Amino acid sequence: MVESVCMDCHRLVSGQECPVCGTTNLSNDWSGLLVIVDPEKSEIAKKIGVTIPDKYALKVR
Amino acid sequence: MSEDSAIFVIKTTANQERSVAGMLAKVAKKENLDIRALLAPDELKGYVLAESSNSGEVEQAIQTVPHARAVVKGQSSMEEIMHFLTPKPTVTGITEGAIIEVTSGPFKGEKARVKRVDEGHEEITVELFDAVVPIPITIRGDTVRILRKEDE
Repeated sequence: MVESVCMDCHRLVSGQECPVCGTTNLSNDWSGLLVIVDPEKSEIAKKIGVTIPDKYALKVR
Repeated sequence: MSEDSAIFVIKTTANQERSVAGMLAKVAKKENLDIRALLAPDELKGYVLAESSNSGEVEQAIQTVPHARAVVKGQSSMEEIMHFLTPKPTVTGITEGAIIEVTSGPFKGEKARVKRVDEGHEEITVELFDAVVPIPITIRGDTVRILRKEDE
């Protein structure tokens, strides 16, 4: 299944709108996958300011 | 108390990086392994980066994941992978007046001169050399190869 990405929070979304932002501003043109498992311990999550474990795109067009 | 994070590199089958990262996250959650984040940048073909406190946890996680082949010996630091988190626009390095070759799409193989660079949309406007009438066309910045930087 092709997943789209929320243009605001870069989260991978499977439906028609972002469950966190509530926006329908989604894009199918993205690259680079980042999976945050443990945002409390993860340095990467802290660097990009993510607090919710989820899948994120590194770049969205 | 959380231990320091280190980056471990996992070798995967080519083009399976995203599925491996997704499955590793599921395994880590299910088996309560100390894997904090997984990174599959497009520039890094055949590898997935895992943030963890030790390589043993990563080794254990890849055992049940198909297409995850091995953990590369040694570890990397956060500084070394920082550039993957902030990708550069694809039009970086392309300047007005540069000669490029289109690498995909209907104009594949055509040579052209760059007329305008749009950093925000990552698009460039070019004029094809072989066209009888110079018609500007706008194409994506990642579908070109730079042949000559700027026309002197």
